[in-house]
Amino acid sequence: MNDFFKKYNTTLKSMSLILMIAIPFFLYQGAIQDSDFQINLFLGLMVANMLFILKKG
Amino acid sequence: MTALFILKWMAAFSPILTVLVLMIFKNWSGSRAGAAGWFVALIAASLFFGAHPKLLAYSQIKGILLSLNVLYIIWTALLLYNVVNETGAIKAIGIGIERFSSDKSIQILIFGWIFASFLQGVAGYGVPIAVVAPLLVSLGFSPVVAVAVPAIGHSWSVTFGSMGASFQTLMAVTGYEYAYLAPWSASLLGIAAFLCGIFCVHVFGGWKMVRHSFIAILIIGIAMSGTQYILAVTGMWTLGGFGASLVGLLSGLAVAKLKRYNQTPPSKATSQMSLAWALSAYFILIVIVSSGVMIPAVKTFLGQVQLIFSFPEIVSLKGWVVEAGKGKAINVFGHGGALLLYSSIISFLVYQSKGYYQTGAVKAIVQKTIKSGVPTSLGIVSMVCFAMIMDHCQMIYILAEGISRVFGPIYPLISPWIGLLGAFMTGSNTNSNVVFGVLQLETAQLAGLSTALILAAQTTGGALGSMIAPAKILVGCSTVGLSGKEGPVLKATLWYGFVITGIIGIIALVFSFIS
Repeated sequence: MNDFFKKYNTTLKSMSLILMIAIPFFLYQGAIQDSDFQINLFLGLMVANMLFILKKG
Repeated sequence: MTALFILKWMAAFSPILTVLVLMIFKNWSGSRAGAAGWFVALIAASLFFGAHPKLLAYSQIKGILLSLNVLYIIWTALLLYNVVNETGAIKAIGIGIERFSSDKSIQILIFGWIFASFLQGVAGYGVPIAVVAPLLVSLGFSPVVAVAVPAIGHSWSVTFGSMGASFQTLMAVTGYEYAYLAPWSASLLGIAAFLCGIFCVHVFGGWKMVRHSFIAILIIGIAMSGTQYILAVTGMWTLGGFGASLVGLLSGLAVAKLKRYNQTPPSKATSQMSLAWALSAYFILIVIVSSGVMIPAVKTFLGQVQLIFSFPEIVSLKGWVVEAGKGKAINVFGHGGALLLYSSIISFLVYQSKGYYQTGAVKAIVQKTIKSGVPTSLGIVSMVCFAMIMDHCQMIYILAEGISRVFGPIYPLISPWIGLLGAFMTGSNTNSNVVFGVLQLETAQLAGLSTALILAAQTTGGALGSMIAPAKILVGCSTVGLSGKEGPVLKATLWYGFVITGIIGIIALVFSFIS
């Protein structure tokens, strides 16, 4: 697992950055449309992404 | 102050304390510490400050819009630097400067003060120390001096360097325009410029060498701080650090020809690329940025496409209200980042037409830009996002209220220290402005002080923090074989950083009484 993270370190971090930038736009859409499901779903994704950064950032 | 208020203040401070402890005592990267701060902010905001999912959703999109304004500049500044560096132009600029004088104090000023500031103007993010330190070692300076000198020398130019990314951030988080913030910021940073020049020389030769080089420091200091002030207040703040150091470079080369500094023959080293060609990308940058900022027709044409989001009123479960309004607009084609992108593309085509690139240069440029840009961006986005959670849940207001009650009218004295602390913990003036910009603004408002002066002290402290930020010292030490032996460098820069910040605090306090 560690080898995988080492090998694809820059790629994974780049993907994490893209997610970090993209997710709030879906959160905004959810908030504008009053969709609790969409807000909670993307907040969950944001938490998961932040956990990845916390571990490997 | 009641016990409840103190508890609330401590809960509000917990995300910042988390980032501080993790970066200073655990040596965590800015991105990891930022993510940890985000979690602590999320928990504290939900438990004590009435955050709810919708509030979090709006705070995060606002955070991303603020971040995009900064990332646009950071990525394109890194791209331009790599487009230039891949040709060997940065080395050619160094050799070109060295040929002008062999006086040690002039070499320190030209390399450690002016050239380091120039690199901060065009790149930043540790590049000035990483590039100048090995050059100084090759000129015969000890590794500790070689790292400490550019660390001290470039710090005054950080706010308006990197195409003004830190200043852009200060405007973004506080909502003020350049016209309000620039005069005080450029003034305090101008004073810091002189102090950085003096202490650059002091690191190597003590007060005796400072006396020897005093005329040079005076002439170059006036040229750089004056140019920075003019560029900043006339709307060309993106060129503030770069333009100032370019004028400083010209004045430095002129000063080097004075008889007082020209007792021994200069270096005979030569480069394949002339100084004019090496600097050509930056001449292109000046033309493009000047046109984009100063010619109304061009400015209007480029400003036609803007990314704007509207937000409704947001109320926390504790009743804290964030008014409805528009988020920070992103001027897609007229933004400082866009102007940098145009400059990068044109510079690349010019250098390529002259045959300065080797095979695989494009791949190398892209890879180096991504390698530097991704970790920096992760750190900035995570910190901006947790700062926005704090802002939307009254946490920053609580912090500001507590500081204002304790320090009151002498707050300007400690204001630059807060900026310094932010840069020390995050390794960046930009992040310092993100984390503490709104805190300083609200504290100043509560204490009835000039917000422009306090924010200027914040960003000046943040800029000076670059000389003591472990993240930057580590980069410099790694280029001169001092990896694992950063202690002596940090010890030296800490002392100078504290002295300069202390002086800036006193000046801010005096100005707060008379303004």
